[in-house]
Amino acid sequence: MLGRIGRWIDERAHISGLWQSQMVDYKVPKNLTFPYAFGIMALVAFAIQIISGIFLTMYYQPNVHTAFDSVNYTIMKEVPFMWLIRQVHAAGANFFLAIVYLHIFTGIYYNAYKKPRELTWIVGFFIYFVLLMTALSGYLLPWGQLSYWGMVVTTEIPTAIPGALGETISVWMKGGYELGQITLGRFFGLHIWLLPLILLGLVGFHLYLVRAAGISNPEGVEIDKKKEGVPFHPYITLKEGAYVMGYLAVFFFFVFFYMHHFLPPDNFEPANPFKTPPHIAPEWYLLGFYTIFRSIPSKFLGFIAFNLVLLLLLLLPFLDFSPYRSARRRPLFFVMYIVLIISAMALTILGTMPPTPTNAMLGLVFTAGLFSFFLSLPIISIVEWGWYKARGGDKT
Amino acid sequence: MIKVVFFTLLALIFFYIIWVNNVFAPHETYEMPMQYKKIVEDERYVKEGKQLFEQNCQACHSVRYDAVYPSAVQANPNLKALQEQYGKVLPKDVYESTFYTELSQLKESLGKVPPDLSTMYIARGKEYLFNFILEPQKVIPGTSMPPVMAGRPEDTAKIISYLRSVSEPPPSEKAKRTLMGIVTIAYLIIMGILLWVWRGKILKRMGLH
Amino acid sequence: MEASRRDFMGLAIGGLGVVGVVGVLYPIIKTLAPSAASLAGAKVEVDISQIPEGNVRVVSWKGKPVFVVHLPANFQWNGTTKEDKNRKLLEGHNAYALIAVCTHLGCIPLWKPQGEAEYKYPVFHCPCHGGIYSPWGDNIAGPPPMPLHIPPQNLQGNKLVIGEPGFIKEQT
Repeated sequence: MLGRIGRWIDERAHISGLWQSQMVDYKVPKNLTFPYAFGIMALVAFAIQIISGIFLTMYYQPNVHTAFDSVNYTIMKEVPFMWLIRQVHAAGANFFLAIVYLHIFTGIYYNAYKKPRELTWIVGFFIYFVLLMTALSGYLLPWGQLSYWGMVVTTEIPTAIPGALGETISVWMKGGYELGQITLGRFFGLHIWLLPLILLGLVGFHLYLVRAAGISNPEGVEIDKKKEGVPFHPYITLKEGAYVMGYLAVFFFFVFFYMHHFLPPDNFEPANPFKTPPHIAPEWYLLGFYTIFRSIPSKFLGFIAFNLVLLLLLLLPFLDFSPYRSARRRPLFFVMYIVLIISAMALTILGTMPPTPTNAMLGLVFTAGLFSFFLSLPIISIVEWGWYKARGGDKT
Repeated sequence: MIKVVFFTLLALIFFYIIWVNNVFAPHETYEMPMQYKKIVEDERYVKEGKQLFEQNCQACHSVRYDAVYPSAVQANPNLKALQEQYGKVLPKDVYESTFYTELSQLKESLGKVPPDLSTMYIARGKEYLFNFILEPQKVIPGTSMPPVMAGRPEDTAKIISYLRSVSEPPPSEKAKRTLMGIVTIAYLIIMGILLWVWRGKILKRMGLH
Repeated sequence: MEASRRDFMGLAIGGLGVVGVVGVLYPIIKTLAPSAASLAGAKVEVDISQIPEGNVRVVSWKGKPVFVVHLPANFQWNGTTKEDKNRKLLEGHNAYALIAVCTHLGCIPLWKPQGEAEYKYPVFHCPCHGGIYSPWGDNIAGPPPMPLHIPPQNLQGNKLVIGEPGFIKEQT
């Protein structure tokens, strides 16, 4: 019976052909490592956010007087099981960003941004950027002390731009001179549908590009798919299916037993415009940028600095023009990669610490480390071109 | 192999620091003797705790999620009509505008309207609340909170137990949630293992492993 | 042997997968169920002694408007009705509740203790299209096709509990 329905659909939609070509005939390298699964985990995390978000919008109220209670009473205590959906969404946002970061650093390691995958990288960068905006706008919604003051800090950052321009941008973000109903209303609208819609489009395009360009190889050499490839299904699908189960097991451990970081206690105090909480800083996924901003004595230069990091990240495929691919084959690149991730992690952790002079100095050191990675890429590329030519054009 | 171990450890340590226990950014901790911690956790003290709350705290504080309001508001006949209309939790702006007079009086005598305590247990934790209620000036110098419970640590613990019951679900519900979590995680681990084993069998059959 | 083992595993995983889907759907669908608060609103208590005799108070029950009628002790009413289903159920009770939704097109009728137009005795009059009901909600004239519905209710001393089965067990 099921088979007959399947056949009826297939005669009209021709999907079995799609399954055959995309899943069985599609060949991938045999040596894809565990980090290659971060992409599918990010997709799963995205789906979880959408589904949990849809149900949250049924009960959340985007009004400055009732937002906090709609979350902490209606959702957490009144409607059956909504506490679970809220916890899934809060933990899910953090996990989504964590997986995206791991995915980005995986791509950097294996040089998955090189030809023909530069466009994939660029689209991915915009996914990351829009995702940061989605997370920022979402965090405001519970209207707790951290939500409110975190956004005050964020909307103050454009004032680093000197003159009236910075002030204007800040006021435009807030919709006024302070955070209020206008701000909450517009961030709600952005968060629940405009930004997710843009994300959906970007992710769809990103997936298409991954398929169109073919998956990269950890060794950096493209394989002869016909001879050395394995069918995507079941080789990769079941492997990454099992990895996703592991990811979800870790995820749900946090959801049920350790929400402490994802639902910070300070945010259970309703927003009070007249009282700043003692520890206020952006969420961990933005802390690296925040530390860069904070460490540089000039506010304007700090602003330029962290925007520069974003720009350099976007332009990565063009900064690194070496003929060699994958950190496995590039010892110089490998060393700078270590500098990169140590700096990024250190900058994030420094952001959780109070801004003492020592920490500011360390912030500068690791900011320099971060920049040194990007700036080293053209230099390493030139050196490696030399080696390439000397070896008569051998890419191994 | 070394690289795998190195990068895995690095990632695990990083997320441990920022999500579980940040050893670099310690926050203030407060002391609380174990006997009083036990009272807070004990469901049997909730009822007495609520009575103590009504006697000592309700003059100034509300617990909106439990439909408890400051005495002046409680005496206002409009409260009942509002509760009939809106149910258990009155919308904050309706509450603040209807009882503007009573709340303004509190503000005048204390400098600000004493905060609602519905989520205060989660926001501050029992150790902080214990220290603050017993010795307000020590925790927040210059606060307008009077030391109403001075020298009464056991009663203070009972009041905190009541606040805990407003913030947290009852023990039976907590047990249900724990069970849900264990079942979910166990299911996922089993599914993961099954998928892995099944894949192994299929690949062997296809001669691909 | 190998084939059946593989199929068994596939079946087991498929089965567990379905269990997983159900496990995800269950809490999601449960969020649509009424919360404890709204279930509590399924019973409304009205103190009859607070309603002057001959008066009708309107309360809300399960989201609907409800008339709480308090008739005087020796209430006489000799109008004619098209039906007398309600009077049979409510005769002898001087305090009862009626669902205040006109059975024609849903407006809320008005209590007219002094009568309305040619009806010189207490009636409910629906302003939308002129429906007329007796004090017990039986339809007298106009477009309403049937009497007003009666909610389940129980009288405990001076307290009329609407929503609790008592002298009226089920909603008519």
